[in-house]
Amino acid sequence: MKRTAPRSTLRKIIKKHKPQLRLAANADLLVHLSFLLFLHRLAEEARTNAFENKSKIIKPEHTISAAKVILKKSRG
Amino acid sequence: MASRGGGTPAASGASGPAELQLPQGPRGLSPPPPPPPRNYADHNAPRRRRNYPPHTAPRPLPALARVSREEAGGGNRWAVTGPAMADRRPRARPGLRRSGHNARAVAQTGSSVENKSKSVRSTLAKQGLGVFPDLRNGTPRLMLKRVMQNQPQVSPLAPQISNHEDTKEAHSEVPSQRVSSMGELQLPDVAPEDTSTTVFNMKKKRRKFSISEFERAAESRLPQYQAQSALDSTVMTRSLRMSVGSLLAPDTVEKRGLLRRPKTRRAVDMQAFEGRVEQNLLKSKGQNDLVDSQSASVIRTSMLTSDAEMMMNSTELFVQPLLDEESQNKLSALEPQLSDSKTSAQRSPISDADQEEARLEGLVSSVSTNQERTQRYSKSTGLDDEHVDRMSHVSPETPAKQGEEKQDHSQQSNPVAKISVTEEEVVCTAERGASAGHSEHLEKKLAEKAELQITAGHASRGETEVAPSAGKEVEEGSTGAHSSPRAEHEITRGIGAESLGRPSHAFSSFEKPEVTPVDEIDEQGDELQDQAMMLNLDSSVGEPAEDEAEQPESQEVSMKTPTFVRAPPHKLLLSAKPAKASAPSSPLKLLQPKTVPKRLRTSQKKPREPQVPRSLIKAIFRHFAKMPVTRDAFQIVEKCSERYFKQLSDDLEAYSHHAGRKTVEAADLEVLMRRQGLVTDKMPLRVLIERHLPLEYRRLLIPVAVSGNKVIPSK
Repeated sequence: MKRTAPRSTLRKIIKKHKPQLRLAANADLLVHLSFLLFLHRLAEEARTNAFENKSKIIKPEHTISAAKVILKKSRG
Repeated sequence: MASRGGGTPAASGASGPAELQLPQGPRGLSPPPPPPPRNYADHNAPRRRRNYPPHTAPRPLPALARVSREEAGGGNRWAVTGPAMADRRPRARPGLRRSGHNARAVAQTGSSVENKSKSVRSTLAKQGLGVFPDLRNGTPRLMLKRVMQNQPQVSPLAPQISNHEDTKEAHSEVPSQRVSSMGELQLPDVAPEDTSTTVFNMKKKRRKFSISEFERAAESRLPQYQAQSALDSTVMTRSLRMSVGSLLAPDTVEKRGLLRRPKTRRAVDMQAFEGRVEQNLLKSKGQNDLVDSQSASVIRTSMLTSDAEMMMNSTELFVQPLLDEESQNKLSALEPQLSDSKTSAQRSPISDADQEEARLEGLVSSVSTNQERTQRYSKSTGLDDEHVDRMSHVSPETPAKQGEEKQDHSQQSNPVAKISVTEEEVVCTAERGASAGHSEHLEKKLAEKAELQITAGHASRGETEVAPSAGKEVEEGSTGAHSSPRAEHEITRGIGAESLGRPSHAFSSFEKPEVTPVDEIDEQGDELQDQAMMLNLDSSVGEPAEDEAEQPESQEVSMKTPTFVRAPPHKLLLSAKPAKASAPSSPLKLLQPKTVPKRLRTSQKKPREPQVPRSLIKAIFRHFAKMPVTRDAFQIVEKCSERYFKQLSDDLEAYSHHAGRKTVEAADLEVLMRRQGLVTDKMPLRVLIERHLPLEYRRLLIPVAVSGNKVIPSK
């Protein structure tokens, strides 16, 4: 179910944001890892919000509030 | 004794019974004559299987079944006395006759009396039941009898009225119910009569009394009842009806209550709907295909015309209150737009788009999103979708009105015909449709006929101007010329009769804006100002404002300036018939937009931003969330991921720059994750890699030592 990391896509994304920046050989794998962990944290937070709302489905408002927190955390 | 005893049995066993007496003669004692040989034939005969009707109670265990069968056979004969009778009696009363099922059920309680009558019952079972093996248990009448007996005992007096009412209610549903009840009871057609009589016999006093009384009351009150009574002449049906009524009374009452319950529908909230429409547009922003835009624009033009028609409709008889709020807002927003259109000198797509964007922003929030896109096509598609959504929303509101308008249109095509024709050609984009709606809107507002001719003059002037500009616009136009003839038709349809005069003026003003980019900004500017003024004056008209508001949104997308966009639709609206003049030129213009957009599309499509595939994000998020996620939540997750990548790239650049490098290394990534709080002293990066990445990637990232003093991957 889990698919391969879109390595070229990740490179293109970073290139689009920072054209002058280069990426090392396997650095995009770590980028993918960090992205996975970011989604993981986002999902957990959204899940927690949904539970708090006694909802069995993750709704956009849960996601939005989760995103606010996690994006702040992931700023580095 | 013993020997003799031993001998005699042996002797007797060897010889027949006759010989037994011989040796015992001298003794004087004769052994008791052996009992007559018993006939076990019936006992050993294969048990006959009963044909129980399918709906009857499940068959008991074979032993019990046999016992029950026998008991049932015997129950008819004997008054069964015994410990089990107490519980059996209430059921056995009807079962005394022939309710084999009751007897069977009772038998399951384990009465022991049946053992006596086994033989008799077995014979009984064999005897008469060749034809109707279930006379005791399984005939429909018996079943019905059972049903009747087991019905809740309702007092005949009190529920008379309720029964009557119930039957009244049930009358409408009686046929179906009766059918269903009949089906439930599985009564063959022949049986009912018998069962009815049986029913009456069973409960003589109560049932008869209630039925007769009920019928009397019913017939006295209900004509239906009598009508139905003609149909339901049989006693059975009547009894059934009563039973049905009493049985189904609560259901029917409930059902009727359900049926009568007014359906509460939430009134459609225009604001909410518009908001949702905008959201949809946001989602559909991604579509940048020219084809899509073209189709969308085509759709838009069609929708626009309907919108225009709607606008026209509203002015004719009454202004729709729904549109008032929005329209007024949009109307006010439109005025600045009109003035802006005046001033826009450039016909370049981007400038037009920008202008349009500026205008639209004021009107619609979604427009702001369009602004982000430099590409007109994307904007146009978004606007197209939005407009389509709006149109689709609006058009159903005024289906009837459109019919009226169509009739009016035929009358009005005339004066501006040629102008509109050329305009049609020029207007390629869906904005044209929007502007058409716009123009229609303006038409309503502006002065009437006198200006028609003036506008005709203007239109002709604008025509010529438009022609050169048309070529340019064609390049930019997202929609092909094919949309223009359609728009033309639709627009003509949408034109209201009375508003023609106004439109003419509006057209002229619209035309001017269109041509403004090309030439003669001043003239058009004046007209635009006039239009704006007119718009201000006519701000009371709700619909036009809404249409304008909608149109600007759609217009934004197209490359043309809003004025330009608006102008052609006006012309299109006005001239349906005299397409001849423009006919020859239109094909030429049709061709041009077709070729140009292709080039633009291919060139513009490529820099489509790279995105992490949506499906991947969905899969990952769903896996981590372990809960169902709504589609809207996924949209938000996508946006978050985009923002995350932006943040990430900034951070990585900072780290690598801090390290004096131009390349992002793995160390930078680790620093980033450490700062994010993912990598801690307790949780090294290696563990995270091992946990979340598949083997192939792990192998690449984590150095593994192998034999031979080798490390993979080699550094």
